[in-house]
Amino acid sequence: MHTYDYISDEVLIERFKEGDEHAFDLLVRRYEQKVYQLAYRLTNNPDDAADVAAETFLRMYNSLKRFRGDAQLSTWLYRVVSNVFFDFRKRESRHQHIPLEIQTEDSEEPMELPVEDESVDIMGHALQQEQRRVLMEVIQQLPEYQRVMVVLFHIEERSYEEIAQILGLPLGTIKSRLNRARTALRQLLEPYRELFGVETSPTVGKPQEASDAL
Amino acid sequence: MRCEQVKEFLNAYIEGSVSEALRERIQAHLNACAECRREYRFLQSIWQGLSLMPEVVPPANLHERIMTHVRANVRAREAQQRVAFWRWAGAAAVAAGLFLMGFFVANSDGVQAAFGFGGAKKPVVESPQPVQAGVFIEYRETKDGSRLPVLEARMNREATAELHYVAGAEPSAKPTLIWQGTLLPGKTLEIPLQTLLQSANERVLTLWWSVEGRKRVLFVPVGYPPARIASVRLQAKLSDALRQLASVYQTPIEWVPNGEEPLVVLDAQEASLEEALRQLLVGSEYKLTRQGAAWRVSGH
Repeated sequence: MHTYDYISDEVLIERFKEGDEHAFDLLVRRYEQKVYQLAYRLTNNPDDAADVAAETFLRMYNSLKRFRGDAQLSTWLYRVVSNVFFDFRKRESRHQHIPLEIQTEDSEEPMELPVEDESVDIMGHALQQEQRRVLMEVIQQLPEYQRVMVVLFHIEERSYEEIAQILGLPLGTIKSRLNRARTALRQLLEPYRELFGVETSPTVGKPQEASDAL
Repeated sequence: MRCEQVKEFLNAYIEGSVSEALRERIQAHLNACAECRREYRFLQSIWQGLSLMPEVVPPANLHERIMTHVRANVRAREAQQRVAFWRWAGAAAVAAGLFLMGFFVANSDGVQAAFGFGGAKKPVVESPQPVQAGVFIEYRETKDGSRLPVLEARMNREATAELHYVAGAEPSAKPTLIWQGTLLPGKTLEIPLQTLLQSANERVLTLWWSVEGRKRVLFVPVGYPPARIASVRLQAKLSDALRQLASVYQTPIEWVPNGEEPLVVLDAQEASLEEALRQLLVGSEYKLTRQGAAWRVSGH
């Protein structure tokens, strides 16, 4: 398989347009991890993530013949993942949907606690695991659009420009939406201040707390 | 700066996207205000936690799952498009008073037939040697796994031939000429039948095929053979019975009439098409042979 690593996306896309199905297979292999990763971070569920990934590549198959290469394939795929995610959520919400209780225990793989390690490191590791769990959980509580913004910008670390391309929105809109998403996320994390190394605010109840709401 | 203003700019400050002047003012405020300092640390810790998320490991069967989903959907959609297109093409042909024509054109390569519809890209191909003379229904596996029936005609000598399409269930109904021409030795005439199948609006297409005046009837099913046939009971004229069997078993049947058409009775339980046909033909003059993908019921 590695011999194909030298073949650029453009060449593979051309081959696919000429009817070479193997080229499509290679493109899927090249991007499936990235696509799945984004899908997983949006859905926080391995099964849903695989569904989103599969649908994303189906859409790629259907529209690759029209792909003109004015965006990077990865950017374009991110866009499709977001669209598929929105579509799936819309479909879900049309059905009667009772939100599941958020699982608060045992959702992570068992932590390894090496005996030799210093306790500080163990604490650090455990803290980080807990932070990640809480973050992923809280992200799921954001409205879809805000969730996509946070995931793309803060986890996938895409630039404003690329996110604008991915979502097909003006840069200004991206910035303002990201701001709202961050504010919302920060509010949702208020009960977990200590987990993020910040002691509970001694000024709770004081007038300037209102400014948090922005 | 007031706390509200500072908080408004904290994310930009963390990102490093504020002007130098603003950065200094925020810095000064943070040095003086414990509350804003806490907020700053909180936000910084959140964004850092997000950026340090580990890579997600996909399930081992992800690739397979993706490819299965893609293949299944592409296949289904193409089948739908074919039906839609050929329905439309068939309707358009009828509306225009056209027949689904192919015509023979002699060129340096031998014989070529062109068709009014896009289904026939290579109507005539060089036959692999040696060939059996006759008319066959063959199925071509396409890339997406669907099977498309093709009528193939090969002769060892020059022969005039005609192909008619009979609309409706009755083989004696008025036929429509599809193709007429001369078959050349060593050449195979191929007529893709999906054009007709999709415009037929029936489970079985009835074709009349005549070579040098010898007539035979082809019953060509539209779909796929079912896995299992529970039971077939019928009492009908032979041609109707064969047509129904082609439909039930979704397998092409060729009928070479022998002048008379007997009334046949069939009561088959979990029978294969061959068993059903044999039962059907017991006591008649007709013989059963295999002809390519089709079964041939021949009175000769």
